[in-house]
Amino acid sequence: MSSGSQAQPVEDATTALESVPDQKTRRYDRQLRLWASSGQAALESSHILVLNSSSTSTSILKNLVLPGIGAFTILDRTTTSPSDAGNNFFLEGLDSVGKPRAEEAVRLLLELNDGVKGNSIVEKDIQEVLASEGEKGTEWIKSFSLIIAHNLEKIALDRLADVLWADFESPPLFIVRSAGFLAEVSIQFHEHAIIESHIESSPSLRIDKPFPKLLQHSLSLDFDGMDVTDHGHIPYVYILVRVLEDWKKSHDGKPPKTTAEKKEFKEIISKMRKKADEENFEEAEAQAYRCWTETVVPSDVKSIFTPLSTPSPSHTKPFRILLRALEVYTTTVPPYTLPLSATLPDMKASTSQYVDLQTLYKERAVEERDAFRAVLDKVLQEQGENPSLIDDETVTNFVKHSHILRLLRGKKWGWLEESPDTLATLVQTSPKQLAIHLALSALASLQTKHALATAQSKSTKEQETEFQPKLEDLITEAKSLLPTGVEFEDDTDFENAIGEAARSPTADLPNTAALLGGIVAQEVIKMTTKQYVPIDGICTIDLVETWTGLL
Amino acid sequence: MIKIWSMKKNEDAAAKKKPKTSAAQIRVQKDLTELDLPSTMKTNFPDPADLLNFTLTITPDEGMYKGGAFNFSFSINTNYPHDPPKVKCTQTIYHPNVDLEGNVCLNILREDWKPVLNLNSVMVGLQYLFLEPNPDDPLNKDAALEMTRSRDQFLNNVRATMRGGYFKSVQYDNVLAR
Amino acid sequence: MASAPSTDWPGRYYHIDQVLEKPGPRTDPAFLAGDGVKDFLRNQAKILVIGAGGLGCEILANLALTGFKDIHVIDMDTIDISNLNRQFLFRPKDVGRPKATVAAEFIMKRVPGVTVTPYFGKIQDKDEDYYLQFNLVICGLDSIEARRWMNATLVNMVDPENPESLKPMIDGGTEGFKGQARVILPTFTSCYECSLDMLNKPTAFPICTIANTPRLPEHCIEWASVLEWPRVHGDKKMDTDDPEHISWLYKVASARAREFNIEGVTWSLTQGVVKNIIPAIASTNAIIAAACCNEAFKIATSSAAFLNNYFMLIGTEGVYSYTFEHEKRHDCPVCGGEALDLTVSPDSTVENLIDILIERQDIQIKKPSLSTPTKQLYFQAPPQLEEATRPNLEKKLSEFVPANGEITVTSTSLPFSLSLRILYS
Repeated sequence: MSSGSQAQPVEDATTALESVPDQKTRRYDRQLRLWASSGQAALESSHILVLNSSSTSTSILKNLVLPGIGAFTILDRTTTSPSDAGNNFFLEGLDSVGKPRAEEAVRLLLELNDGVKGNSIVEKDIQEVLASEGEKGTEWIKSFSLIIAHNLEKIALDRLADVLWADFESPPLFIVRSAGFLAEVSIQFHEHAIIESHIESSPSLRIDKPFPKLLQHSLSLDFDGMDVTDHGHIPYVYILVRVLEDWKKSHDGKPPKTTAEKKEFKEIISKMRKKADEENFEEAEAQAYRCWTETVVPSDVKSIFTPLSTPSPSHTKPFRILLRALEVYTTTVPPYTLPLSATLPDMKASTSQYVDLQTLYKERAVEERDAFRAVLDKVLQEQGENPSLIDDETVTNFVKHSHILRLLRGKKWGWLEESPDTLATLVQTSPKQLAIHLALSALASLQTKHALATAQSKSTKEQETEFQPKLEDLITEAKSLLPTGVEFEDDTDFENAIGEAARSPTADLPNTAALLGGIVAQEVIKMTTKQYVPIDGICTIDLVETWTGLL
Repeated sequence: MIKIWSMKKNEDAAAKKKPKTSAAQIRVQKDLTELDLPSTMKTNFPDPADLLNFTLTITPDEGMYKGGAFNFSFSINTNYPHDPPKVKCTQTIYHPNVDLEGNVCLNILREDWKPVLNLNSVMVGLQYLFLEPNPDDPLNKDAALEMTRSRDQFLNNVRATMRGGYFKSVQYDNVLAR
Repeated sequence: MASAPSTDWPGRYYHIDQVLEKPGPRTDPAFLAGDGVKDFLRNQAKILVIGAGGLGCEILANLALTGFKDIHVIDMDTIDISNLNRQFLFRPKDVGRPKATVAAEFIMKRVPGVTVTPYFGKIQDKDEDYYLQFNLVICGLDSIEARRWMNATLVNMVDPENPESLKPMIDGGTEGFKGQARVILPTFTSCYECSLDMLNKPTAFPICTIANTPRLPEHCIEWASVLEWPRVHGDKKMDTDDPEHISWLYKVASARAREFNIEGVTWSLTQGVVKNIIPAIASTNAIIAAACCNEAFKIATSSAAFLNNYFMLIGTEGVYSYTFEHEKRHDCPVCGGEALDLTVSPDSTVENLIDILIERQDIQIKKPSLSTPTKQLYFQAPPQLEEATRPNLEKKLSEFVPANGEITVTSTSLPFSLSLRILYS
């Protein structure tokens, strides 16, 4: 639970009492507590393209239709087969067999939420769009907010990934592969900026670098003259600022450094108590580390400061400019820290002491935000951008979350295969995870070879044969994906994965599909709302021992 | 089905039939039969077969509340010890940490409760409130103010209210020990 | 079900059969690939699902698709509009109807040949005989209390003489983007009670803070619900599902907040605090339910190794998960402790039994207190209960305990408790 206190006047917040929330708010209550109305609005304006209607694909869509994405389109020319009807909850058994699979799936998915639009395209598939529609087809694909490809045939997938990667403005491509108990998920995108990462980390209270009013108030307190009750309700922030200030006077202006000094510092606090059990002084001791932990720009934030000249998609441009302004701010405006946050943790205090302290922080936070805005306007001007590119609400939100900002730089699908050094390292550090990736890659390659062979034999009117790769072929194919000389130290992990792939090469197991449905939908929600942090790499999944791991 | 039984034949701990008594019940039995209370505290079970609902009487033999007999109701739910026992003072008394509705301000009854604590810790904590009332974090603000302002006046008020009757338009219960 | 239902059209289990017709590298050698295991799964296995909510809906759908044909489900709740963002077997027209019933109807309509038997009520309504009929139990619950009850019941059901009495319990839970799934083999692995200390407790605020020094909007809301509601409404029970009641609390909390210049009391926060609402989304439920059903499938078919024994997932920063073996606790009140068969003479008194417990070299218990599941036999303390149970000392044990009956012994010298099974010579 957080106080979630936005800087709004008390009167506005509490005089106009809200009534019982409307139907839609009640329906979405349990998720609005995770991503708020801003996240919901982002979901509702998305339009997602899904490249087939397998059990996995419909499981993913189910978990996106329920929370209320705007729209989805399924591109799939498959006719429902008896095996489809057996493992897909969004088909109606034998009644669906023989009908276009995507039409059936869309109809049943839409029953879940009448606020969502869905449509199916059954007369072509992604291969045809890419092969015969040229520029028009590519533009059509890029018009979606994101694309999901489950077990898409290798040549088409590589082609699609190429086409999307070639343009910075392309939507993210979700690549989902599975066979039996094995699966993996990855996302191809150029850049993803997150302000509300929801990372559990609290902003600095800047006790070591107190702003003037905080310092002034801390110094003005007459600890000795207070009665026991008041003394027991001084917020620990004041206590620490005061004790640190006194300490610095006798230590060349430096905070405690050595273990002995830190101990001494805590003893000073302890001795200030008027009673044995003054909780606020106990809190001050517990929080004393704040005095010798210098407030600096967190390294995770510093690491994403980037020159504006590096290429980036237009949707992260405002974020990049804000980030540039933050870099300038933290290097030119004393005390060279992030702008102060108005969020104050709860602490032992009387109501008035706490509210006063909160007001001090809020007022200062507004001042620093305005100072940041001034820096931002200068950066905007330098870039030849209009100040209206970034509104005040965005600035406030950015400043509020400046300690947990994230900027992810994605990789092109296939990056791993193109990086022999990484493969050589992963074979050592993450053999289990890598084995799953190789097994699924080997399956994809062999399946494509099989399809090509079948297509040739079809011309001689032979029956279509089922894809049943031999274990040896899978092993050879998988090993060929590793650079020469790179081998698994212990073959068990490799054999476990390849063995499972050979056992169930085309199985879209309902439980695996359901689990992927959940994992992929979580990632889609994170990418779409730009809240929380999506996976950065390839997430591999083993449902025999039940674990997930990242490559 | 997997054959669990043959999985670990030598796991002898598994071959023990467990009793049907609930974990909460056993835990309450353990807590109660291991109570180590001074003579100033006494439990009373209106229905001795019901271990989950009983009262505790505290008769402080020192401090400002000496001479009183203070009753608390204990009610334990089946989610004990995950949930703390619910404790209320059943009399209207004048105490900085007990309000007029009988709510008690004791950290281990709410925010600091953990399953490793037991009924004994709660009872000892309650008794401590009568030996050392704490005016800094009060539930009864008037009582606390009085206690901070003038200890003598506060003591007079305690004495007066313990006899029962109206004091500052609140009717208190007679809590004098008989 | 005697014969394979005709609803199994050719190709229906094309996907599932790939893992039932061949073992994988990590499949137990005892796995009998082929028709035997398919027949067990589709015609014999009987599985119980506890909860037809966020996890329950997902669990039912997965089980039905994987080929379980005889599924039972228990749930005591009715459908609320706030369930519809994730409980995908329910529609707005179902609001107010029992979850178990609606979920069962939907699954049977959608997946031909599957029988789902709903029970709209509490798990505590059912006895051991009921639970004994199932091969497996999957829990998708949001209540700690219900999980503890189910866990204790399944642990207590284990009879060393009867392997069929051991029912694997698979338990799932979610909160926002996080969740966990675990496999409990009662008396073999750690049980739910063993891990009770891993749970996060909901935040509780000091009552004096609520009464006197509120600082957060939550303090104002707790003031309204904990102190003001009983003061104003007396014994009238607060119903957190009643919007009128929430509105009242919201008004009172807002007034309090205004008085103290505290910001942030909203209708939604009020509801969240008093109902202890845990955020919930379809995708996390899907992950955890799938993990649970996958374990059920592997345990029922032996087609692959299964989870040993705890899977934890955190989806807030990437996909982070942790799979580990949660250790059995020897002093666990449910599955730990000692159990002992004790043969005594039919003439033994309660006091004789106590003497045996104190004197026997392998037991040596100081000051034991004894009870049967329904009655106190002898309590060492407190005085009133000692006095009340003292007359029992002279009575024959057989008056209280039948042959094979159980006695719970507690003592300061025991880590938790000892359970005795009494046999008469």
